Amino acid sequence: MTLIDLYPGERGTINGIKGESHLQNRLVEMGLLTGIEVRMVKQAPFKGPVEIKYRDSYLSIRWEDARHIELKQ
Amino acid sequence: MKHHFLSKKHKSSSKSDWVALVGNPNSGKTAIFNLLTGLNQKVSNYPGITVEKKVGTTYTEQNSYNILDLPGTYSLSPESFDEQIVSDQVLSWASGEDPPSAIVSVVDASNLARNLFLTSQLLDLDIPVVVALNMIDRLEDVNQLDIKALQAELGAEAVIPISAKLNRGLDNLKGAIESAISSQDKANHPSTWIDQSMKDRLAPLQNKQFLSPKFSTAQALRMLSRSISSNGNASQIKSIRKSISELGFNANTLEATLRYEWIDKIVRSIQAKIDQPIQKVSRSEKWDNILTHRWIGPAIFIGILYFIFQSIFTWATIPMDWIQLGMVQFSTFVLTQMPSGMLRDILVEGIIGGVGAIVIFLPQILILSFFLTLMEDTGYMARVAFMLDRGMTKMGLHGKSILPLMSGYACAIPGIMSARTIDSWKERLVTILILPLMSCSARLPVYTLLISAFIPPLTVGGYFQLQGLTLVIMYFLGTATALILAKVFSRFIKEKSSSSFVMELPPYRMPIARSVIRHIFIRGKLFLVNAGKVIMAISIVLWFLASFPKVDQTISGVNPIHHSYAGRIGHAMEPVIRPLGFDWKIGIGLLTSFAAREVMVSTMATIYNVENTGDEAVNLRNAMRNDINEETGAPTYTPLVALALMVFYVFAAQCMATFAIVRQETNSWKWPLFMVMYMTALAYVGAMVVYQGGLLLGFS
Repeated sequence: MTLIDLYPGERGTINGIKGESHLQNRLVEMGLLTGIEVRMVKQAPFKGPVEIKYRDSYLSIRWEDARHIELKQ
Repeated sequence: MKHHFLSKKHKSSSKSDWVALVGNPNSGKTAIFNLLTGLNQKVSNYPGITVEKKVGTTYTEQNSYNILDLPGTYSLSPESFDEQIVSDQVLSWASGEDPPSAIVSVVDASNLARNLFLTSQLLDLDIPVVVALNMIDRLEDVNQLDIKALQAELGAEAVIPISAKLNRGLDNLKGAIESAISSQDKANHPSTWIDQSMKDRLAPLQNKQFLSPKFSTAQALRMLSRSISSNGNASQIKSIRKSISELGFNANTLEATLRYEWIDKIVRSIQAKIDQPIQKVSRSEKWDNILTHRWIGPAIFIGILYFIFQSIFTWATIPMDWIQLGMVQFSTFVLTQMPSGMLRDILVEGIIGGVGAIVIFLPQILILSFFLTLMEDTGYMARVAFMLDRGMTKMGLHGKSILPLMSGYACAIPGIMSARTIDSWKERLVTILILPLMSCSARLPVYTLLISAFIPPLTVGGYFQLQGLTLVIMYFLGTATALILAKVFSRFIKEKSSSSFVMELPPYRMPIARSVIRHIFIRGKLFLVNAGKVIMAISIVLWFLASFPKVDQTISGVNPIHHSYAGRIGHAMEPVIRPLGFDWKIGIGLLTSFAAREVMVSTMATIYNVENTGDEAVNLRNAMRNDINEETGAPTYTPLVALALMVFYVFAAQCMATFAIVRQETNSWKWPLFMVMYMTALAYVGAMVVYQGGLLLGFS
């Protein structure tokens, strides 16, 4: 299960980040660590970016990149 | 990169101590810089949002310190060019090149852990760090943070709660900076985010050039996680990465993981209660239910754009009329007070005529920058980037291209510079190449003059003023062409780079009035300084070219300006520009406006002033309207010619400064030359299609 499987309003816990190493690093630098809880806020239409809430931040990530954020079952 | 600018430029200041201001984007860093330095800033020629290096001076009771404002960054592992500037700077300090005496790390108190990440990287430098805990007013309860404990746990010189918005805590911050610099015993940053066994593993990668062993370790870790090898240690990196993954860590994200473990522990220990559980819906999120709604959101954005462009045309006309009136009265005053002669002619026909024709457009430029600053400072621009990223990537651009492109409506130069925040080189390059097609405020004078002279002030469809609508169409033409060409260019440009879009959506904020006013003031000043320098110089040169050689009018029977140097140049150009409907006067304008577009207007003003034999200043709008072609007896300029000329200006690459900045930002001659060529070709063809097409359809 990955971040994009969450419907707006649903919550999940990060289990790890895959994908290209720069992206992995930046997402963790932004505080998206394993064990951190996230809430899906909204998805822009036509597979546009998703908006999530975690810690005290709102962050937008491209749909293709959000697929690399894996959630705990 | 070496930056000795501080030591060179500020030798006059009594102390060589200086301070660096570093922080995340949206942490309020620039607002703090403004508060600390007031008007004592050296803002370089073209301020972007914060993509410029800005130096200011702050005064304490005994001392004064120079402060450097660095671009906002999340980390010292850069993803964009903007962040690269900061990390290069920090690397040079770490190597002992002109390091600051203290660093002010600006932190958003309402987003503590995430902001402390950068702070913890700065602490490695062994340079005194003062943490400015900004936006303290956003916490529900100030006492929920144990500030003394935070200072001790971090190993910072001081942690000072402040609010840039309410202008609170600034004196404490200044005091802390002063004592951080003067105090002998520095706080000891324990650097406990990394344990000894991990340090030992990294030891082979450490670079001895860095003064601080902690920074050296951290930098080795950054090299490791990005697999950047130096002096052929690639195999070493590979084996260390392997040993780290055997420990159960991901080498790509090791630094961030270790630092957050440390930071999260500190934050938990000093926070009386957790600020916001993630299910809590913030006020901004509620606003976003409407403002970034999938259908309503874009509709609101289009509405805002339309409102901005209508207001440029309606509100601005009132102060513009005042300035116009003032200018005419001023030149009439000079005409009556000064004895006639060449000096008076230069003054009235050259300088007042030329510069005055430009100053009129100041209100429009101020209104446009006002709206752009408002959209940026409230946090709305980030939402626009969120909504448009999908569409923008389809066009070969990036969600973050929206701010540069919109800034391009004010001026291409800050726009091109703010493209530095785009974290993919190819998308950044495409943004730069198409950005000059966004109609900048220097085109406004040209559009405004032609529209007010040749487009009737009718109302169409009940609501839309034809004049305002024409202006919107010109902006639309430039923007639509820019987007189409972005798609074309991105298909043919073979630059390799990966693209990502990780962007914070900051809470909506009430803009700080001081900041907005300052920004508009700087824009206006820049415009006037340009008008003062470039336009005045060109106006004077042009006046000479248009006035000499003197021919006795009674003999030749035609206006002597035809025989002047300028007239001859213009007439020589006519065969080339005839198909576009342009005459020799416009030809001269096209030539002079290669320096800057708005020079077109001052050129026309100078030409008509010289041509005018009467003893009063010329109203340019009426002069163009009443201009009669001496051969045919028909009006020289018609609405069709005006349209063709406007379309020419939509596309033409007439701006030396843009050329120079593209050269600088792309670090090559290839891209600026390509830009000028494609834009000139587009301008010529576009204007010809309008003029010849219009003639075929029976317009004149």
